[in-house]
Amino acid sequence: MSERTKHRWAMAIDLDRCTGCQACVAACHAENNLPLSDPESAAKGRAVHWIRVDRYYEGEFPEVKVKHMPVLCQQCDEAPCEPVCPVYATYQNAEGLNVQVYNRCVGTRYCGNNCPYSVRFFNWFDPVWPEPLQLQHNPDVSIRMGGVMEKCTFCIQRIKRAENDAKDEKRDVADGEIQPACAQSCPAEAMVFGDLNDPESKVSRMAGSGRSTRLLEELGTKPKVFYLQRGA
Amino acid sequence: MDRRNFFKILSTVSAGAAATSCGTKRDALAPLLVPEHEIVPGVEQWHVAVCRECAAGCGVIARVMEGERTVERNGQKFRERVAAIKKLEGNPLDPVSGGRLCARGQAAVQGLYHPDRVRGPLKRTGARGEAKFAPVAWDEAIAGVVDKLKGRASDVLFLTAPEVSARTASIARFVQAIGAPAARTCSLQQPAGLPRYDLARARYVLGVGADFLGTWASPVYYMRQYGEFRQGRPGVRGHFVQADSRMSLTASNADEWVPIQPGSERAFLAAIGAVLRGENPKQEWLDACGVTEKRVRRIAEELKQSEAPLVIAADTEAALYVNGLLGNFNKPGGVFGVYASLGSAPQKGDVRGARVLLVDAGENPAYLAPGSLANVETIISFSPFLDDTAAQADWILPDHHALESDMAIEQPVSPKRSVAVGTAFVKPLYDTRAVEQTLADVAKKMSVAYAPVTPEEFAKPLLAEGESWEDVVRRGGVQADAQAGELKVPQALQVQPVERSPLVLQTYLSTQYYDGRAANLPWMQELPDPASSAMWDLPVEIDPKTASSLQIASGDRVGVESERGAIEVFAYVHPAAIPGVVSMAIGEGHAHFTRYASGRGANPLTVADAEKPMRVKISRIAGARGELAQFSPQDREQGPWGGR
Repeated sequence: MSERTKHRWAMAIDLDRCTGCQACVAACHAENNLPLSDPESAAKGRAVHWIRVDRYYEGEFPEVKVKHMPVLCQQCDEAPCEPVCPVYATYQNAEGLNVQVYNRCVGTRYCGNNCPYSVRFFNWFDPVWPEPLQLQHNPDVSIRMGGVMEKCTFCIQRIKRAENDAKDEKRDVADGEIQPACAQSCPAEAMVFGDLNDPESKVSRMAGSGRSTRLLEELGTKPKVFYLQRGA
Repeated sequence: MDRRNFFKILSTVSAGAAATSCGTKRDALAPLLVPEHEIVPGVEQWHVAVCRECAAGCGVIARVMEGERTVERNGQKFRERVAAIKKLEGNPLDPVSGGRLCARGQAAVQGLYHPDRVRGPLKRTGARGEAKFAPVAWDEAIAGVVDKLKGRASDVLFLTAPEVSARTASIARFVQAIGAPAARTCSLQQPAGLPRYDLARARYVLGVGADFLGTWASPVYYMRQYGEFRQGRPGVRGHFVQADSRMSLTASNADEWVPIQPGSERAFLAAIGAVLRGENPKQEWLDACGVTEKRVRRIAEELKQSEAPLVIAADTEAALYVNGLLGNFNKPGGVFGVYASLGSAPQKGDVRGARVLLVDAGENPAYLAPGSLANVETIISFSPFLDDTAAQADWILPDHHALESDMAIEQPVSPKRSVAVGTAFVKPLYDTRAVEQTLADVAKKMSVAYAPVTPEEFAKPLLAEGESWEDVVRRGGVQADAQAGELKVPQALQVQPVERSPLVLQTYLSTQYYDGRAANLPWMQELPDPASSAMWDLPVEIDPKTASSLQIASGDRVGVESERGAIEVFAYVHPAAIPGVVSMAIGEGHAHFTRYASGRGANPLTVADAEKPMRVKISRIAGARGELAQFSPQDREQGPWGGR
């Protein structure tokens, strides 16, 4: 693992607040220039959503319950996707982010294969945006061409921008100053982003809550996304 | 942008972008059209706007940066630099959105930059329904409309949204000026005038048939409240029971879902009310909703015991009746009345009797009431898209997209008396014209005195003394402290008998497409359906028992038939569907609605009514082709971790 710097970015998702409305999914598309699918590619399993809301039904009618769970890249400390990349296109950066370097990626898809959370997506073709849909593109995020993997970045462009601003103003990044697109949009305020190295940050406090769990924790991936289970 | 930064911008606002030394970022909030020379690469500006994807009218802010598009002039193609909207966020100063936004709101920007927008006025050249049009000049289109309206004022029906806004006020003034009857609506959006439910401060909530976290009333406002209701108060977690005929997005979040038969919402509330009054609920009510007396009594008892109970129902009269029995008005966690309105919203209307139909953007009778346009002589559409209705129009005089428009909308559900205000800050991409302007041009040509209601004129009554309009425009709205109106509480409920049949189809507004108006947006088409995870289509939801008796599996093609019509759709075997109650979301099945929605899926309104479930027959279509695209086909949790 690489050396740690000041920050260790993480997210906490309160499943008791989450309604499963998928505002986060649409916000992510808008922020990160995700490729558009079409009915045929979607049917082949090639639609790209960096964040999805898994829905599970438990029990049988009438005693049936539904569980919603937003799943994005878990930014694992021990990420299974990293050691299998032959070209270091995916690695752990100094702030604990599991980053994807698009122009290194040669498209072996080993990382996607090795990810237990199924949050990595391969670009089978170059993306197409019929004119003038491209006017909406976020200039802060590069467009990924065919042949490379992509996934949630925790909105690294927003992190960098806030860090640069703080540096310019000779101060630290304040807790809550950085909001990935999903967390910013969330109407129920279920998603909280912040620095795990700061014990006073909201995300640290939520990660330490009695309701806090991590997805597939038993695999030893040490995810940095914390799910607060429903209940008091 | 967070709240802190936003306030910082507001306090230092000056017109235009203020580039900083590093050139990466500086926000300025300017309520003016952005001139091209002020677009600095890499520098963002933020402008306020209003979301028009549903009736709620959430205040939003738009991130504006440089963009490039191709334009054709004299047969040559050029690249043109324009100020482009990159992202929409909730406006932190708006009392409804509070800085948050839903999926449909996020996707609104795709409507603005949609590749298939109507780019100028069109005249029909083919037979009606062939959707063949020729571009014409605005003068010709205006003359064409005047020709259709002259001397026929009493035959005119103007359709617009059931909201109170500068737009509907302008339309009301126009129809009055030409002597036509009042404007109507055919939209399925909830009309203005609903009470406000103080969900955030309630302790025990009983929801009945209202999908308030998905599509009902003001979803972003109620979702914000819901988060607080669950986890916003130290040591207090609100308890939530939802009685619904379908496992809606709202019901799926409840601690307890009470499945009730479609159409029996009022009977259920009448039964609850009876217990609260110390009476016995009528057996016919219990039979109608299919809930045991024991369960009704327990829920009523829990409501009574709670220190802050709240009943939220789509049936407002019934909701007020039960909340009245709980003594639940104008107090924290209770129900609040409606503020005095700046006007009146158009009522529901039937287009079947109309001769000359004028259709505002967002209204789509050809889709929402299939077959209703058969006897209409003239259709004039203002839609910015060639939707089902516009495809049948004689003239299309396209409106700007909402994000290119000046507007003021009274927010139907708001903690304050409030109007959201948006001012155009990006130039219209095409040769479109605001409906208000088109109507003024028509009136002028008809020699009728008419001036549209401007946003400023509309919102003026709410401005405090000394408050400037510039200030309102910069903040994206105006709020006034006001006393909410008295609630009319019914003393008794009239319950109509509910018919029950072995297999009924009920329709509902979809999270992705609302009443179908968002089906042209590719982000919404690929947003997985909350129930079935379907993309680019909507299946019919059948319960496992019925499905197995009809030998239907998820992904099969099935025929759904009623006395009204028949459709062919994909089936989804819904683990939480009520046996014998088949559901389908409204949204797909447009004859015409751009490349992303035309001819895709089926319209359930050809089979059933939007408000009333209908008896249907369902059969599997053997050998039918096609595949239902699902993002997460698994609907049961699997894997080594099991159910936590």
